[in-house]
This record gives sequence, structure tokens and C-alpha cells, in this order.
Amino acid sequence: MNPTFTVNGRSCSAPADGTATLLDVLRDQLALTGAKRGCNYGVCGTCSVLIDGVLGRACLALAADCAGREIVTVEALDADGTPDPIQQRLVAAGAVQCGFCTPAMVLAARGLLAVNPRPSRAEAAAAISGNICRCSGYGAIVDAIVAAGHD
Amino acid sequence: MTGVAFHRPSRLDDVLALLAADEDARPLAGGQTLVPMLNLDLLAPSAIISLADIGELRGIDRRDDGSVRIGAMETHARIAASAAFAGGQAVIPHAAGQIASPAIRNFGTIGGACAHGDPASDWPAALVAADARIEIAGSSGRRDVAAADFFQDFLTTALQPGELVTGIVVPPLAGRGIHHRFSRVDSDYATVIVACAADIAPDGTCNVVRLAIGACGPHPARSDTAEALLTGRMLEPALIAQAGQMLAEAIDPLDDVRGSAAYRRRILPGLIARALESLR
Repeated sequence: MNPTFTVNGRSCSAPADGTATLLDVLRDQLALTGAKRGCNYGVCGTCSVLIDGVLGRACLALAADCAGREIVTVEALDADGTPDPIQQRLVAAGAVQCGFCTPAMVLAARGLLAVNPRPSRAEAAAAISGNICRCSGYGAIVDAIVAAGHD
Repeated sequence: MTGVAFHRPSRLDDVLALLAADEDARPLAGGQTLVPMLNLDLLAPSAIISLADIGELRGIDRRDDGSVRIGAMETHARIAASAAFAGGQAVIPHAAGQIASPAIRNFGTIGGACAHGDPASDWPAALVAADARIEIAGSSGRRDVAAADFFQDFLTTALQPGELVTGIVVPPLAGRGIHHRFSRVDSDYATVIVACAADIAPDGTCNVVRLAIGACGPHPARSDTAEALLTGRMLEPALIAQAGQMLAEAIDPLDDVRGSAAYRRRILPGLIARALESLR
């Protein structure tokens, strides 16, 4: 039997190929395209999701090795029709330009706020240090994360 | 893509048997270097053997003699947050907390990074500065190797085919420790790393110093003559500069995108001075 894990609360099983990544499963099997395939080798950060509550690279997690883990993608955050507070703060701060990095930025912020509910600017910047934004909107993204901490 | 077998044994002996039976099988630790190589088609293993369920590869344990044993599967994030380290051993958690970015630190492991053996990465210099030993297991038995002998060349370590890093042992170290890395931006590989564990008296006398330079050649560089020069002496700027010059001559850097060899040699003495200053 193939290893199973949950994605946004729903059970799914890893492909037979041991080299399939979590990102392959999310995008190609579950059609959850919030996690982007940017560089596909761990540098750009656009595939980041929450794995057992902490930020991880979906492109660097082998699906089979995710057995028993709980995965959360950006699609879960507004499942009730209301955007997550960090998403609302990103919109209010004008922190979304092309949007390609945004889902992973949202999850990086969620990962930070879970352990540090009132981050400083420096802590917010460090939390997204592995997430590249090529529109260069870091200032507004950091503003939004700090503001979300005050919500 | 054809199916590559995936194994997740719960006993170390089973991992070693699988590795011994198939030289094209690859052990999987945190995956933060193995999986990029798979994705880039730089590696085509016949099978992947997850180490996730091997209990003896876990734990960060302070022992009665003051040494700390770190299981190979411990992540950089857990090492950075551990309270097990004391004195000069602080170089270890300080290094761990600066590796790459949070997502990588949450999953990347010390054992995986050691086995990969990238001299541009953070662990080789930190472990050599700390006089750490690398625990190795293979189907023919166990051994341990000093970090200085383990990291041999670019992506080349003392590991033989079928062998696995099982843990790292950091001896008790007096004083304080620092992993001083100079990089262009957070999350990038360092241009130069100065890893240092030193015991410096309040009056500035250096009782003990261990200095390892990383990202400046095929393996970390130490200089017995530079350390002997500093030991027992007041750490005056001229003396530190002299030791810095010795280490600048001991390194063997390449020109790359993070800086030329000449640039690395130029900035190294100043970085060493900053590292030592921070440990006073």
C-alpha cells in the first residue's frame, strides 16, 4: 500500500514512484496550484507549504516520505469564503504585485505567526528570507506580516 | 519517469543491508540536497531508503562528560533551538540557525549535510572548529572519524560505499563559540565562514582557540601555527592580523559568483578579528 498523508484535511496517497515530490502530488494529482513550481530545487521558495505546521519546501519533500504528515496549502486558508487575516493584510498593504510568490509568503507568515504572534520587522523579514519576490515588494510584505501580528 | 522503489525501514541494520545490497540505492535524510539533485536529474538512484524511522539517528543529548551527541537526523532548526550546548560548543547551534532559510532548516539534517560534503556549506567549518567526530555505520561495522579528516574534498568525504553518518559528537569546549558567516544576503551560501571556539580571559588573554575557515577551498582550513601564535597571548590587533594572514595563506579559495579568491583572502583577516572580538 502506498504511504498516505493528509492535504488540507483530506487523505491522499503517494504515487508509486519514490522520487515523486509533494509538489507533484499537490499540483498534478490534486490540482492544488497555489504552491508554484518555480525553480524546483529549493531556492525560490514559491512551493512552500506547511508540513506538520512548519514551513517546508513541497518540491524537496518526497511524497512517499510524507507518510502520516499533515499538509496545509494556501487553498485551505479561505475555505470558508473569508480570506485569512494575513491575506487581508497583504491586500491592504498593496503587497501583491504579480502574485507568484504570494501563496508561499502567506504560508511563511502563518508559520511565523503560529510561534511568534507579534513579530518585529526583522523577525518578519527573516521568516520570508527563503521566499524570493522578483517584483521586489518585500517592504510591503513585511508591513503586512507585522500588521497581521497586531490584529 | 519509471518507478523508483521507496523503503522506510525501522531498524538501522535493515538500512545498512539495503545499502550493501545495492550500490545505486540512496539514503534519504531531510532531502534538502538529495531531492534537488533528483529534480535536476543529477542523480538516478535505483531505490530511496528513508531514514525517518530510525530511532538511533535522533536526539541531541548532553552526556556526563560534557560532550553532546547529535543524531544524524536532527534538523538544523532543532539544533539551533537546543539547550544542550555549553561554552565553546555554541558554535554548533549558532551555525545551525544561519543555514539557508527557515523552510530548509526545518527539514534539512546535520547528517545529510555532512554526507553531502559541500565545502561551501556551513557544517564542515563549524564541526572542524569544534573538533567534532563523525559517527559512521556500515554493514561491516562502526567507526568514527574526526571532522577534520571526514571532509576531504568537494562533495567527497571519508564515507565509503554503503556507509551512513549516524551521529556527530561535539566534545566539551571551554569559553564561547561563534559561527561568523559573511554572505551577500540571508539564505545564500556564505562567501567566507569563520567558525571559532575560544576561551578568552577577561583581560584579553587567549587561553584556547580553535579557528576553522569555510567556503574557501575543498575542505575547511585550520592553521596550527596561527592557533599557536594566539594561544597564551593578549589578543592585540597586530597579533590577530598576523594570525589572519596565516589563515589567508592556508585557504585555497576559488573564484566564484560569491567572490573572487583574492577577495576572500582580503576580507578573511577582518572577519577573524570580528569573530575573536565577539568572544571576549
